[in-house]
Amino acid sequence: MKALSRHIEAFGALLLAVIWISPLLFAFWAAFHSTSDAVNFNITAPWTLDNFRIAWAGAPWLQYFLNTFLLVTVILVGQFIVTTLAGFAFAQVRFPGRDIVFILVLMQLFILPEVLIVENYAMVSRLGLFDSILGVGMPYMASAFGIFLMRQAFKGVPIELHEAARVEGCGWFGILWRVYVPLARPTYLAYALVSVSTHWNNFLWPLIVTNSPDTRPLTVGLSIFGAPENGVDISVISAATMMSVAPLLVAFLVFQRQFVQAFLRAGIK
Amino acid sequence: MTTPFVHVENVAKRWNGQLGVENVSLSIPRGSFVALLGPSGCGKSTTLRLLSGLELPDEGRISIDGRDVTTAAPSDRNLSMVFQSYALFPHLNVAENVVFGLKVRRVAAAERREKLRRALEITGLLGYENRKPGELSGGQRQRVALARAIVANQPLCLMDEPLSNLDAKLRASVRKDIKKLQVDLGITVVYVTHDQTEAMSMADMVVLMKDGHIQQIGAPEDLYYRPANTFVAEFVGSPPMALIEGAALPGFEGVSLIGLRAENVHVTGPGQGRLRCQVSECEFLGSETFIGLTHPSATGLTVSMPGLKTIPAGQSLDIGFADEHLHFFDASGRRTETRPPRPAE
Repeated sequence: MKALSRHIEAFGALLLAVIWISPLLFAFWAAFHSTSDAVNFNITAPWTLDNFRIAWAGAPWLQYFLNTFLLVTVILVGQFIVTTLAGFAFAQVRFPGRDIVFILVLMQLFILPEVLIVENYAMVSRLGLFDSILGVGMPYMASAFGIFLMRQAFKGVPIELHEAARVEGCGWFGILWRVYVPLARPTYLAYALVSVSTHWNNFLWPLIVTNSPDTRPLTVGLSIFGAPENGVDISVISAATMMSVAPLLVAFLVFQRQFVQAFLRAGIK
Repeated sequence: MTTPFVHVENVAKRWNGQLGVENVSLSIPRGSFVALLGPSGCGKSTTLRLLSGLELPDEGRISIDGRDVTTAAPSDRNLSMVFQSYALFPHLNVAENVVFGLKVRRVAAAERREKLRRALEITGLLGYENRKPGELSGGQRQRVALARAIVANQPLCLMDEPLSNLDAKLRASVRKDIKKLQVDLGITVVYVTHDQTEAMSMADMVVLMKDGHIQQIGAPEDLYYRPANTFVAEFVGSPPMALIEGAALPGFEGVSLIGLRAENVHVTGPGQGRLRCQVSECEFLGSETFIGLTHPSATGLTVSMPGLKTIPAGQSLDIGFADEHLHFFDASGRRTETRPPRPAE
């Protein structure tokens, strides 16, 4: 009986995995075959790279890649600065009203970013950042999740290390930089993974704020490329999609072990 | 007398009305080894943290080397510190840990290398420069903490139970190393411990504390031979001093409590002793056996006998002792020198 239930569990897991991966597999397969072969599921059809050639010529992909890369970098750097400083303040600095402010920050976790799109749009426009990469990244820099994560990581640093650094002559900033930041490295790594993958794939907000190929990230570029008015060609769209997700996918496959370990160490599940 | 190196005056520290330390006054001469001794929660660590500047006193003044540092930051007090947990930075290797403070204070690289080499040499850590603290044994970590404390050549070093995480054998050898280091470098050490053996064997001056108050300050032999009150008498020494009610001893009815050390007690023949006690247990230590005794008006009575002795519990034993070995305490537990008038002979 026990063996049977174990088999059912394994089978269930396998089934879920297949369902989850199948669209990606199909896109991968379709990207290397002609459109008619792809829609007819012609398994023995010959492989081709034509779709990639057509897709690559169809849009300024290099610019989009660069934009997405800049976007995730700008967001990550901004998030590291803000969450480090805020997390440290909430973890180790005593100031009046700390708990209330922290709860206010946490309440941000309950608000879906989509709810704030209009307000964010107005704010970004007022700042004169409309249609700029900084404008796309700005609303995500003060991440409540990141602040919470850093606060937890910093709270786990033994107080003796803080005191030893104080005796050795470190100021607040020195202690943060020389003790807390290096010790929270696994947390930074895990958070970077979450942040990069989230913002690499983010679509709605960049779609609204960007207006030109110079600032458009991959996701927006891909959707415009695949829009029905340009004619639907499953294979070419699949090829473009493959190109968009390839960097993240390859990075995940290469660093899979480190990814999982970073998450385990940082305690995010 | 020259001005003391460290001077603590009427310092008090309270937490939410709870007592930390109260009325602590202390003068520490330059180059001495001072042990803050007491049971856990007595305020010895608080006193050390007040000296270090990690806590600031609610009352009183602290001066180090003639400078008032009552509210100064820890880094402005020219001191180093060894923590109970060693507080080594796990992400830095041994060399980086040791020169951490020098780097923070922007000491030139050449000077840093020279000081590092010297500190590692003194602590016997040459060759371990590139190890991470996680790859070292407890004793080695402890030596890294020591090296970090001495590398900057600060005149005052504070140690918070630095040996409590070591096993007993290592503790004895590191104890000697620390003492030698302190003498060789001529630094002043303030050392917190709950282990009286450590305090008695290393310190020039012992400060015994209880419930946030200093009970006695003095050389180890002062605490042992002239305990200021019954707490000191019962804390210092192994076994501690026995206390006998004055009323139980003919001729001493005027004294509240009488103290007596085990080594001054001897077993006499039946009927020839001054007290008749019951044997409660025998503790064999190799060269001698401590025999615990019970008496209705005494606590902690012990007699030491050479070699192995096994006396069944419950057996009566008569003990004798000389008057000059007795310590007298008044009703409030304080030591008194006045002996009661001896009855006419």
